[in-house]
Amino acid sequence: MHELSLAHDMTRIIGNVLGRKVPLDRVNVTIGPLSGISPESLKFCFTEIAKMEGFGEPELVINLTEAKLICLECGTEYQARDFYQGCPECGSISRKILSGREFTVDSVEIDEGEN
Amino acid sequence: MCDDASEKIVNIATPVMNKNDRFAAENRKLLGEKGIYTLNLISSPGAGKTTVLESMARFFGQRMAVIEGDVQTRRDAERIEKAGCQAWQIETGGACHLDAHAVKHALDHMDLSSEELELLAIENVGNLICPSGYDLGEDMRIGLLSVPEGDDKILKYPSLFSTINVLLINKMDLIPHLDFDVDITIKECRSLSPDVEVFTVSARTGEGMEEFCEFVESSFS
Repeated sequence: MHELSLAHDMTRIIGNVLGRKVPLDRVNVTIGPLSGISPESLKFCFTEIAKMEGFGEPELVINLTEAKLICLECGTEYQARDFYQGCPECGSISRKILSGREFTVDSVEIDEGEN
Repeated sequence: MCDDASEKIVNIATPVMNKNDRFAAENRKLLGEKGIYTLNLISSPGAGKTTVLESMARFFGQRMAVIEGDVQTRRDAERIEKAGCQAWQIETGGACHLDAHAVKHALDHMDLSSEELELLAIENVGNLICPSGYDLGEDMRIGLLSVPEGDDKILKYPSLFSTINVLLINKMDLIPHLDFDVDITIKECRSLSPDVEVFTVSARTGEGMEEFCEFVESSFS
């Protein structure tokens, strides 16, 4: 349920950058697969919060990245879409996370009718 | 007017956790300047966070202060005060996690001036998912798992257990009655957090608590 807080944070960030509240067509975000964020839940929460906060009914477009991991057994660097994918070389699940927790508002597209 | 299609796209390029992380950095700086080492204790509801903290309060006494995070009531803060420590209750009023801003607000109200004070324990809202993404400014993140919850929880909640420094397995006094495999739990936790320190305790009977408290103490002294 923290997606509700995150949706609020997203509208705050968008409002700060735009300096005003305008209806939006699209909001583009990047989410890492290890961020603990449910994309479906975020879409649901963001739709409601965006409307409440005066940003219309934008489509939330999620760019889901791959995580980068390094195997602590054999040193192979590999990519994964979740926590459960082991090393493709040796199968070990002992690894260090290099990236995959990111969550960024990348850009917004303003509803043309409003400008 | 915006006739050019490119003008309707506005670059934002902002990590959503920026604001939280800024407050977390402020908390870390403030607490560091005062020589206070900070713990963030995370578990599901009922795993025994407050009982662990009561036991720690008896070990550390006035050297420790506690911030209690709950959706509602001052019950936990009252328990900690009875055990002998300063406690500040954050009632989130529905929110499923603490954030660094709520902790900063608590710090503004607490008396951190005592020379004796060297440890702050923050008890997060009981939840294995939402607190994991919020840095509060802690030095040590502790994941607490109680044996009645089952030994399958580590891999079910990887976003938390991949971020902890210490795994505290609690309610070990109940282990004779349960099929909880401690070795598998530790192995799976190490697959997510290779350097995790593990302690098995029963906060209720006190088993293992002294060793754990001494470990915490050695982290800042």
